[in-house]
Amino acid sequence: MISCTEFIPAYSELFKFLEAQGGRRAVDDFWKYLADGFLGNLKSAVEQHGLRGCWIYWSHTLNEEAADFTMELDEDAGQFRIILHHCPSKARLIELKHVEPYHDYCRHCDVLYRHVLEPLGYRFTIDRSRCDEAHCTATITAQAGGEEH
Amino acid sequence: MVKQVMRRAAGDNEYLHQDFHGALSAGLEYLHEKYGEEAVRRYLWQFARTFYAPLTEAVERRGLVALEEHFREVYSLEGGEVRFVLSEDELRIEVDACPAVTHMRRRGYPVARLYRETTETVNRAICHQTPFAAELLQYDDETGRSIQRFYRSRS
Repeated sequence: MISCTEFIPAYSELFKFLEAQGGRRAVDDFWKYLADGFLGNLKSAVEQHGLRGCWIYWSHTLNEEAADFTMELDEDAGQFRIILHHCPSKARLIELKHVEPYHDYCRHCDVLYRHVLEPLGYRFTIDRSRCDEAHCTATITAQAGGEEH
Repeated sequence: MVKQVMRRAAGDNEYLHQDFHGALSAGLEYLHEKYGEEAVRRYLWQFARTFYAPLTEAVERRGLVALEEHFREVYSLEGGEVRFVLSEDELRIEVDACPAVTHMRRRGYPVARLYRETTETVNRAICHQTPFAAELLQYDDETGRSIQRFYRSRS
């Protein structure tokens, strides 16, 4: 059995495997498949609660992942933000001395969440400039004419 | 409306996000659909040979007790009824219901058709090039109930 605590290296190795099969395109195709099939709870939370759906979704996942984070919801400004001071996934990969992380590991968040949120009328941006330190900031903004509640 | 802020440090929570089982299962199903059955096994073999390399070394050095310690820790963390029977040359692990499969069924995540390979292929890969081998004596796809056997294959 592969423990859920061992999932992140399994995920990173899967990206390498896919890239070896069909290049970057194969990895991106998988991320979109995963967003469609696995992030239905994020999609339905946002459809039901607007930006607050992001708060609900990430309150669950970031706490279970024992992340070091600050999460901000400003419904008046139409903005939700996550500052990952220490991303638990990337930090685990960096700590593993015998496994080389997939070279573009952190891009999966950008592709997955953008793929779910942009069709719902939200703009997703992520600052990955410090992702080699397991630090990033994601901002989700309700676009004018979007579906914010 | 007031701006809401949540601040958490890593030590505030235990690291146990069992929904990850669903994501791994989705990955296996994707490989199966897109690249075929053998791709699932090749990926799991490659992952296990890389990630569990320190465990394989420990099995080589210390024998089956290293595997017993590893799996006791995994099942104790994930939950579930498990029995271990260890002798010098054999380790049997009897799992009443795989905690990963139980979680996915409870949450409504699809369980990949080849999910059993996360036990069968991974166990074989861990033992590869050690004096031990692994076999999956029983596996129930619905619950993940299994009997896993590790045994000495050469001295």
